[in-house]
Amino acid sequence: MSSVLWLQGGACSGNTMSFLNAEEPNVVDLITDFGLDLLWHPSLGMELGEHAQKIFRDCAEGRRPLDIFVFEGTVIQGPDGTGRYDMFAERPMKDWVADLAKAAQIVVAIGDCACWGGIPATEPNPSGSTGLQFHKRERGGFLGPDFRSKMGLPVINIPGCPAHPDWITQVIVALASGRAGDIALDELHRPQTFFKTFTQTGCTRVQFFEYKQATPSFGDGTRTGCLFYEFGCRGPMTHSPCNRILWNRQSSKTRAGMPCIGCTEPEFPFFDLAPGTVFKTQKVSGTIPKEIPEGTDHLTYMAHAAAAQIAAPQWSKEDMFVV
Amino acid sequence: MTAIDLFVSPLGRVEGDLDVRVTIEDGVVTSAWTEAAMFRGFEIILRGKDPQAGLIVTPRICGICGGSHLYKSAYALDVAWRTHLPPNATLIRNICQACETLQSIPRYFYALFAIDLTNKNYANSPLYEEAVRRFAPYTGESYARGVTLSNKPVEVYAIFGGQWPHSSFMVPGGVMCAPTLSDVTRSIAILEHWKNEWLEKQWLGCSIERWLENRTWEDVLAWVDENESQHNSDLGFFIRYALDIGLDKYGAGVGNYIASGTYFEPSKYENPTIEGRNAALIGRSGVYAGGQWFEFDQSRIREDVTHSFYEGDRPLHPFEGETRPIDPERGRAQGKYSWAKAPRYDVPGMGYIPLETGPLARRIAAGAPNAEPHQDQDPLFVDILDKIGPSVLVRQLARVHEAPKYYQWVRNWLDRIDLHEPFYTKPVEHPSGKGFGSTEAARGALSDWIVIEDGKIANYQVITPTAWNIGPRDRDEVPGPIEKAMVGTPIKDPEDPVELGHVARSFDSCLVCTVHAYDGRTGRELSSFVINGMV
Repeated sequence: MSSVLWLQGGACSGNTMSFLNAEEPNVVDLITDFGLDLLWHPSLGMELGEHAQKIFRDCAEGRRPLDIFVFEGTVIQGPDGTGRYDMFAERPMKDWVADLAKAAQIVVAIGDCACWGGIPATEPNPSGSTGLQFHKRERGGFLGPDFRSKMGLPVINIPGCPAHPDWITQVIVALASGRAGDIALDELHRPQTFFKTFTQTGCTRVQFFEYKQATPSFGDGTRTGCLFYEFGCRGPMTHSPCNRILWNRQSSKTRAGMPCIGCTEPEFPFFDLAPGTVFKTQKVSGTIPKEIPEGTDHLTYMAHAAAAQIAAPQWSKEDMFVV
Repeated sequence: MTAIDLFVSPLGRVEGDLDVRVTIEDGVVTSAWTEAAMFRGFEIILRGKDPQAGLIVTPRICGICGGSHLYKSAYALDVAWRTHLPPNATLIRNICQACETLQSIPRYFYALFAIDLTNKNYANSPLYEEAVRRFAPYTGESYARGVTLSNKPVEVYAIFGGQWPHSSFMVPGGVMCAPTLSDVTRSIAILEHWKNEWLEKQWLGCSIERWLENRTWEDVLAWVDENESQHNSDLGFFIRYALDIGLDKYGAGVGNYIASGTYFEPSKYENPTIEGRNAALIGRSGVYAGGQWFEFDQSRIREDVTHSFYEGDRPLHPFEGETRPIDPERGRAQGKYSWAKAPRYDVPGMGYIPLETGPLARRIAAGAPNAEPHQDQDPLFVDILDKIGPSVLVRQLARVHEAPKYYQWVRNWLDRIDLHEPFYTKPVEHPSGKGFGSTEAARGALSDWIVIEDGKIANYQVITPTAWNIGPRDRDEVPGPIEKAMVGTPIKDPEDPVELGHVARSFDSCLVCTVHAYDGRTGRELSSFVINGMV
């Protein structure tokens, strides 16, 4: 039996909505089969007002054991560090977060906002938003770089905008089935089992990438080619299992013809959405992608690309995803 | 007379958190103030950014209607950049927008609304035990199936958009995807499964065609008793139970409505404009006020910030709109109490008034005379409004009525996709322009106004359905729709005011908000007795 309290700060509820899409286990299975005791959740909790506040206070003050504190959304610190831009149950939400994070065995940040600030923290960050233990790529965030939960762990980051439901349900099942020790984190506190691979891993366009064949245009053009060259796809530079663990059990953005926008990485939204950066590959000298796959350099990339284009078979220049 | 100040903080399950403070006199709410308690500043973030930034940013305003945000932000750019939309693109956009709403209807009904029907305040109802058996959270038979199966319609969204929530696959000029044969057949099969397993078997207890034959309130009552299957379906049971516990008796609201409409007939909106929008709609737009229908006109909208935590001294049209936040502590000293602005609409002959948006507003718009052949013409809710007036029950019925209707529409649009024709026309990215895009999210009218100058966003304003409904008082001290709907609500047990939850949740609002209430007769805050918190 794990007790879970889930709260939302500067949030859109997108991670909750994504969570409700889960199957195997779905949200009902988690509670009835895996012993999840969901103490309260903004969309699912039964209690109102004082009854709900009592749960928060009892957890914060240690009268009620809190195994997992899940936080969705940014920690809002504005205006001027007061947190008054986000009031919850009579206090700035940031004060609840500070108390509950201290009381929990494990603290989980779900979604980009809670991990690193996400879209609300985009320049000029009007609400003074930050993540639980990171601000963008910088360590610290709201709780500080040295924060450890009662179990001695840093905040576990499950990023994504939103996070895929399996990225959290499988962690909960791992905890419930005695495999907490198998959850290894990367340097950004993400579970490696999900975030070591690239978004591109398993992408249906990877053969076009191999032969450096670009998608010519959105729409009918997405039946062929790779979105990396013209449409700013960040699949080769982004860590996620989006093409291994499909979305809604059906597809992924890149499979459906939408460039990856890198939403599991701390810099999302990239380039602060400056004019000319949305759905457009940033280039040097007009042709060479400014950012290239992780671990390569421009010289080797160009040599590889030239050879690949020469080697490209005819089928790689035609439609593959046809009626 | 007993007067009680009641404070409920938080009141959950409104896609956010809701704090409520009401004054109750003789067991009835006399006045209420709503307060949105969280500010993120999306309109400020968008200023100076790439013209297409709204496609990525605005879906993140609300995770339950992110697809609706994408839909209207794409149309705002279509208008600003004067794009061409191939018919296939319009069909795919319609399908995905409607699938998001099909997801929302059962998820909202079971997870957010119906669990309050199991509240112990209703233990005296002869139907109470059955309500618990069906609607209890997690363990209720209907709850578990309804919530679990609500993920099916958005699987169709993922087939075309890659994922739900938060794709950005609708772009000016069309959609990014170019579906293949199996994408369409799989979509049909998923929807068929959802219809068989939930919509017909569990929810209606009859075919969708049979339900849609209902034209009057008497038809609905006769439908409930027509046979065992309908009588015992979740909808049949809900109607019987709602009438038994009195959900038809309160929560009326302002009685004036706005629908901006949604879904386009492809051939009538190949070149999106503001002027051509109403005539191209399938789900019609319209304003219904003072018992009369008026054409929807975005130029009649203003946002008032008299009681909102923003600078500004006069109501502004969104093209001129401003978002300049102030510290709420300073705002309160000036009589401000909410992060929501107060949208108002200039109704001919009535001036700027608050309007309710949402499924009931859409159903009233669908009852207006003179629909074109491609448009929704449906008299049911005009009849219901005439016979029993608006209430929590009627608002719920309007919402769930859309499930069979939209299902039929989606199937029709899927059949009309021509896999051999284009899904996108590359637009010219004009460095300047103005655009308006709008849709109906599950919970109501949702609109963007964009001004592009020098290749970047000069101004971006969004009016959400939640702002229409939970918006605070305006400069004339006229309350917003939920503030008004709270008034008259009977509170049986001030320790557990589940009735306030019914009213608030019947609007399905998606924002953190607070409701405060004071003495309706004197305008003064009453504090003769305080429970549930710190007033």
